[in-house]
Amino acid sequence: MLEPLHFKFTTENEKIVKTEANVGYVHRGIEQACCSKFKFRQVSFVVGRVCGLCSISHTTCYSQVAEKLVKLDIPKRAKYLRMLVIELDRIHSHLLCLSHVAENSGFEALFMQTMRYREFSMELLEAVCGNRIQYDFSIVGGVSRDLRSDVAQSIIEKFKVFRPQLDELVEIYNSNWSLSLKNKGIGVLSRENAIRLNVVGPFARASGLEVDVRNETEDVLPWKEVGFEMITDTAGDVHARNMVRLREIYVSMKIIENIINGLPEGDLLVDTKAFPEGEAVNRIEAPRGELFYYAKGNKTQVLERLKIKAPTFSNIPAMVETFTNNEYASVPAIIGSYDPCLSCTSR
Amino acid sequence: MNRIETSFENLKKDIAAFYKPEVHHFITMNGVDLGNDEIEYQWFFCNYAFPSEITMFTAKANADKQVPSIKNSIVSAWLPEAELVDLLGVDIEDTQKGFVLELDSETAPLRKK
Amino acid sequence: MQVFLQLSVLMTRACHALQDKFQIEIMKTFFKTIGNLFRKPVTIPFPAVATYKPDDYRGLIVFDESLCIWCRRCETVCPPGAIVFSQNITDGKQTYHYSPYVCIYCQECVRTCPKQGCLTQSSEPGHPATKEKDVNNVWNKLFTDSLESRVAYAAEKKKQQAAAKANPPS
Repeated sequence: MLEPLHFKFTTENEKIVKTEANVGYVHRGIEQACCSKFKFRQVSFVVGRVCGLCSISHTTCYSQVAEKLVKLDIPKRAKYLRMLVIELDRIHSHLLCLSHVAENSGFEALFMQTMRYREFSMELLEAVCGNRIQYDFSIVGGVSRDLRSDVAQSIIEKFKVFRPQLDELVEIYNSNWSLSLKNKGIGVLSRENAIRLNVVGPFARASGLEVDVRNETEDVLPWKEVGFEMITDTAGDVHARNMVRLREIYVSMKIIENIINGLPEGDLLVDTKAFPEGEAVNRIEAPRGELFYYAKGNKTQVLERLKIKAPTFSNIPAMVETFTNNEYASVPAIIGSYDPCLSCTSR
Repeated sequence: MNRIETSFENLKKDIAAFYKPEVHHFITMNGVDLGNDEIEYQWFFCNYAFPSEITMFTAKANADKQVPSIKNSIVSAWLPEAELVDLLGVDIEDTQKGFVLELDSETAPLRKK
Repeated sequence: MQVFLQLSVLMTRACHALQDKFQIEIMKTFFKTIGNLFRKPVTIPFPAVATYKPDDYRGLIVFDESLCIWCRRCETVCPPGAIVFSQNITDGKQTYHYSPYVCIYCQECVRTCPKQGCLTQSSEPGHPATKEKDVNNVWNKLFTDSLESRVAYAAEKKKQQAAAKANPPS
C-alpha cells in the first residue's frame, strides 16, 4: 500500500479479531508553520502542499475561510472556475482510487487500463492550471488564471472520447466474476454503524448515508445551480464503494459541461487592505469526504490559529472497526476502497 | 455559526442532551492556546440537512486541568482527543499519549512559548 | 488459419452449450488478448517523442532590470523567499537575486509588481542542479548576506546624515 499507515491485526485462523492503528508518520507541523512563519496571504500556497491529490480542495477551503475573516465577496466567475477545477480533480482522484482497488484485488490488467484512461484528465488539468499536481489556482480574493476558450473546447472534446471508455470500465467493475469474488460482501459497513461512527465521503454514501457537503451548503459555492446530484448505494461493501465512485465521475462530467456552457463574465480577483480578525469556519467536499477549516485572526498579517481536519481523519475509527470478521487476505482491497490519504491526516 | 458556552462540569450532560445520531454530525475537536496557560477547547457539530448549520461548544480552562472526555456519547471522538493530548500537551480523561507524535519528540508544539 | 477458425467455432458452440457465464467471459478475454498481439503499445516512448506541454505552462520568472523601480514588493510577498535584493554600501545601488530552486512558480511576484512587464513568467520548466553547485547552502548565505548589506547601508546613510547635520558645509 502506498500510504504510511500502520495496522496491527490479531487474527484467529485467518479471521481478524482486533485491530490497532497507528498514524502520524508524516507529521510535518504545518499548522504551527502557518501561524508563525507565513503571512495570511502566503498560507494558501503552504496549505496546498499538505496533500498532492486534493491540493485544490485545501487551497479553496483556506481561501474561503480567509475571505470570511477579511469580509470579502468574490466575483461569480471566480466561483465557477473554482468549481470547475474541483470537479476535474475529483475525476482524476476517483480513477486513481479505483485503479488501486483493482491492483490490490489482484487484477493488474484493470489497474493498467484505468491508469491509461486517467491520463487525459492530467493533461486537461495541466492546460487549465499550468501544472499537473500542484495547481496554486485559488488565492485569497479569487483565482489566479482564466479559462481560455480553446482549452474549454478541448475539455468538451476529450469528454466525448472518455465517455465510452468509462462505460467499458463500469461494465468490467460491475460484472467481472473473478473481481466480484474479492469485492462483493467484503468489508461491509452497515448504515447504523456509519451513523454511529460519523463517517464521511464515498465511504459513507456507499452504506446508504446521505452525507455530502455539496448538498448541505450553498452560501460559498453554488452547487445546486450547476446540476449537482447525490449518488448513494445500500450494500456498504467494497463493490458498492467502487460503483459510487464510478457514478460520481458521470455527475462530475455533467457539472463541468454545465459550467463551461454557462460561465458568467466578470473579474477574476478582488483585493482588500483589511487584516483578518475574528474567527471563521468552512467545509468543502474533497474527493475523499468532508474537509473542515477553522481560522482565527488577531488583526495582524499572521494568523493566530489554523485547524485543519482531513476527511481520512474522520474515517479512521470506522476503518478500525470494519476490519473485524474479514479474512486477512482481503485487507489490501479494503484499505484501497477506503481511499486513505495520510498526508492530509497527520499534517 | 451557533456558539454555545459551557464548562467542564456540564460538558458531558450538554453534549448528551444535544447530540442525536440521526440528525447531527460530529466534525472534530479543537484547542486554541490563548496565552497565560489558558486554553479554549471547542467541539464542532453540524446537521445533515440543507442548509446546514455549524454549532460550536466552547469551554475555557487552565492547561493543567483534566478535560472530560465525550467518548461515551460519541465513539469516534478518541482520535481528535489523542491528537490534542500530543500537540497541546494537555491531559484528557482516558487517553494515552504517543499516537500522533513519538514519545521522545519535542512536546506540545502548538503551545505559545 | 482454417484449423484455427474451426477450432474457435467448436469452442464457442461448446461454451454456448455449457451455458456457463464464466466460460463465455474467458473466451471473450481470450480473443481480445490475441487481438492485442497485433496492436501497438499505448506507452509514449519518451524522450524519443515529446509529451504534451501547454504553451502557458507555469515556468521560471524573467526579470527586466530597465523597468524596475526597486520597491521590493516582490520580495515581501514571495511565499518561499526566492527573491532577495542586496544593496551596495557605497552608492546604494540594488541588485536582484532569484533562486530557481526555491521558487514554487506561483506568480505572486508577477501579480504584485506595480510596473507591468518588469516581472513575467516564461513557460520554461526548472532545470535540475548538480551536487557540486551546492544550491541550498549558497542561496542561504546569499540571502542572509543581502539582508545584512541592506541594514549596513541604512546604518551608513544615517551616520552620514548625522555627520552632515553636525558639521554643515559652509
